[in-house]
Amino acid sequence: MNRIQSLFANKKRGILSVYFTAGYPNLNDTVPTLEAFEKHGVDMVELGIPYSDPLADGPTIQESSTIAIRNGMRIEVLLSQLKEVRQKVSIPIVLMSYFNPTYLYGFERFCKQASEAGVDGLIIPDLPAYEYETTYKPIVERYNLSFNMLITSDTPDERIRKIDELTNGFIYMVSSAATTGGTSSMSDAQMDYFKRVSEMKMNNPLMVGFGVHNQQTFAEATTYCNGAIIGSAFIRAQKNGEDVDTTVKKFVSSITGNQ
Amino acid sequence: MGTKRIYTANFQLKVCGITQAENAIEVAKLNPTMMGFILYPKSKRCVSLEQANSIADLLPKHIKKVAVVVNEPLEKVIQLAESTLFDFIQLHGNESPEYCQTVSKHIHVIKAFGIEKQLPDNLEEYANCCTYFLFDTKTENFGGAGKQFDHKILDSYHLNVPFLLSGGIDLDSIDRILTYSNKQLAGIDVNSRYEDEPGIKNIEKLSNLIKRLRPMIKKVSKEGYYGNYGGAYIPEMLQKNVSELAENYQRIIDDPSFIEDFQSLLKDYVGRPTPLFHAKKLSAKYGYKIYLKREDLCHTGSHKLNNVIGQALLAKRLGKKKIIAETGAGQHGVASATVAALLGMECTVFMGEVDIQRQYPNVMRMKMLGATVIPATSGTKTLKDACNEAIRYWISHTEDTHYLIGSAIGPHPYPDMVAQFQSVISEEIAKQLQEKEGRSYPDAVIACVGGGSNAVGAFYHFIDDERVELYGAEAGGCGADTDETAATLTIGTDGIIHGTRTILMQTEDGQVCDAHSISAGLDYPGVGPLHAHLHSIKRGTYLPITDQEALDAAFELTREEGIIPALESSHALALLPKLKMKPTDIVVVNLSGRGDKDMQTYIDLMNSGKK
Repeated sequence: MNRIQSLFANKKRGILSVYFTAGYPNLNDTVPTLEAFEKHGVDMVELGIPYSDPLADGPTIQESSTIAIRNGMRIEVLLSQLKEVRQKVSIPIVLMSYFNPTYLYGFERFCKQASEAGVDGLIIPDLPAYEYETTYKPIVERYNLSFNMLITSDTPDERIRKIDELTNGFIYMVSSAATTGGTSSMSDAQMDYFKRVSEMKMNNPLMVGFGVHNQQTFAEATTYCNGAIIGSAFIRAQKNGEDVDTTVKKFVSSITGNQ
Repeated sequence: MGTKRIYTANFQLKVCGITQAENAIEVAKLNPTMMGFILYPKSKRCVSLEQANSIADLLPKHIKKVAVVVNEPLEKVIQLAESTLFDFIQLHGNESPEYCQTVSKHIHVIKAFGIEKQLPDNLEEYANCCTYFLFDTKTENFGGAGKQFDHKILDSYHLNVPFLLSGGIDLDSIDRILTYSNKQLAGIDVNSRYEDEPGIKNIEKLSNLIKRLRPMIKKVSKEGYYGNYGGAYIPEMLQKNVSELAENYQRIIDDPSFIEDFQSLLKDYVGRPTPLFHAKKLSAKYGYKIYLKREDLCHTGSHKLNNVIGQALLAKRLGKKKIIAETGAGQHGVASATVAALLGMECTVFMGEVDIQRQYPNVMRMKMLGATVIPATSGTKTLKDACNEAIRYWISHTEDTHYLIGSAIGPHPYPDMVAQFQSVISEEIAKQLQEKEGRSYPDAVIACVGGGSNAVGAFYHFIDDERVELYGAEAGGCGADTDETAATLTIGTDGIIHGTRTILMQTEDGQVCDAHSISAGLDYPGVGPLHAHLHSIKRGTYLPITDQEALDAAFELTREEGIIPALESSHALALLPKLKMKPTDIVVVNLSGRGDKDMQTYIDLMNSGKK
């Protein structure tokens, strides 16, 4: 059992996962941010490898990625930053990357080194089920990483079942048909979709992402599902210019309501 | 990706034992790579040198002729080699390494070995003088057993000489042979299994063999691959729309009522067929026959409308009411806005902020046609970012919107769908050449390549016809060896861009690079997966053309033939002086677009006194 799997085994509800872009706002913020997450009660982290053409992301994450790349962030740098991170924190780490950078790095080399650095899982939004199953699954499994796949409200039940079979961490439920960074509250249709999928009783826990940005949407997203992932809202919070610890502390309490 | 290899133009098919002229001509039409004449008196298929000579004369030059001899005196074989009748000598007896060595100084040598239980011990001694080895089943009489030896024996073969496989290869065993993993397997040699009687080949059986050997290069696999390139690398949010297209596009394209609607608009709205114009002055200048395929005369000024009409009609049949499109030069945007107006659909076009400035008249055309133009302000603010923005918009508007991709790029089924819609270009070229030249194919086709839609259209019907050379002109920008370039196939590496696995310009970290070209339509850091495949198997030749070369070619065409071409098409024209063709050769240049949109660039050049 890796850290993701034990998290879900021990905590069933209200799991908070926060995304941040590696190398943003500064190249060496990765480890301090992870420490602050753990200290202030973030349950899991989605650590984004910046990419020049992030199709599934909105402007907030793209902008942070552009800056991170300019800061010199690359897979090699990130993995070396993570090398001793397991002596400092035990929070589950999920690396999020578009497929191309990992492909160029060498997918197996990437998985091996990530695993050695203490990474627990991957999200690769543009590596579809077919390619994953036929080519990459054995590699991911060889290094004991969780592979966490996305579903949307348009995904047919049969495909959801298939994705549940291929996933071995959590299912990333895209809340709405949009890119990341939405700022409205959840609609009735979205709530119905969360309920519908939760009633399918799948093997993997459900984490809602996209459009979760405050206490209300976090509560809505976690009504039927195990937890939620917040990305753009945290990146917007990072712009306040406060130190990492203060930013994270204020942000977490704004989501969970705990002081 | 299965284990079956991709057999290409490089895979040799040798049809051996040719004895009769009419039959040989029929065999040649099937395009084997080699035809063999057996000059061994004891063979049932023996022909005299005179007979071989008179038959070989009737066959196209690109099919290699092989003389098969057995233990002939060395002087006689050298004489044969020097007669230039043959491209290869196949030594099918007990010829020594020294003998082969001497012959190889005069001609390419295929050395045959009869295999019984194991490979010959002294193979290595032949390695430096043979172009191919040929492994046949061992018989008393040097070949002709028509039986297979145990191919497992070849697992121990590890020399660098490629080999042909012979002996009883029938249709039942061909698939097994094709999955055979020894990478030196370069082809097969067939004879008695494909005959009506000794020396007379059965054309139907051979034709079936060829279909098995060479699945059409241009045909995409079920998962959307051309060889290693293609596929659909898309986030789950696009899965529904893209799957819906993939599951339905071929059915709709093949539907007779769709074909009727499509053909009727191509004829009466686009203005097809476009002329095939014999450019006499250019021909005289370069010393071979040059035709221009006048896509610039299509409504809206380029080939783009062919694909746009096809996709818009298809989208309507899928119940979509809105179309979105990306555009570089504005040609695809204008074409999309035009068809949206015609078919009563809502149209939104994404265009890089930089391109909006350099293609202002096209922006106004789109607006006049009722389209909304949204500037792409992310990244480099050019075509790739317009694609990103269009995809993002599509993610948020999946319900009633079709993303009308303007080039042979994007996730499956787009590259194949666009290729099929644009294939009207090569279909017309074939027909028009038949009328004008009495043959349905040129010796070469040239087209410019950005994403590659006009090129794939001009190549399409010729991709699997090895008589036709395919040339793509990439945008070299300031030079393919500088940072200011868009010569993707020249300098790019394998990766994923906009949902397809292809070749792209990227950093070693896998970040997509900025492309540069004087022509906005070629300013793209990727290329369609079929072009990546054609490039990788060497079926197509892709060369970079600099901004300056393209400009020179634009002014040359204008002054020689009175046609002002688009800067994109000028890249194709600029390849003309670089080709090595014979005076009788016919070359078709796909003149993909007209130069109106580039007038400001041309005007600036003239005002600066440089033209």
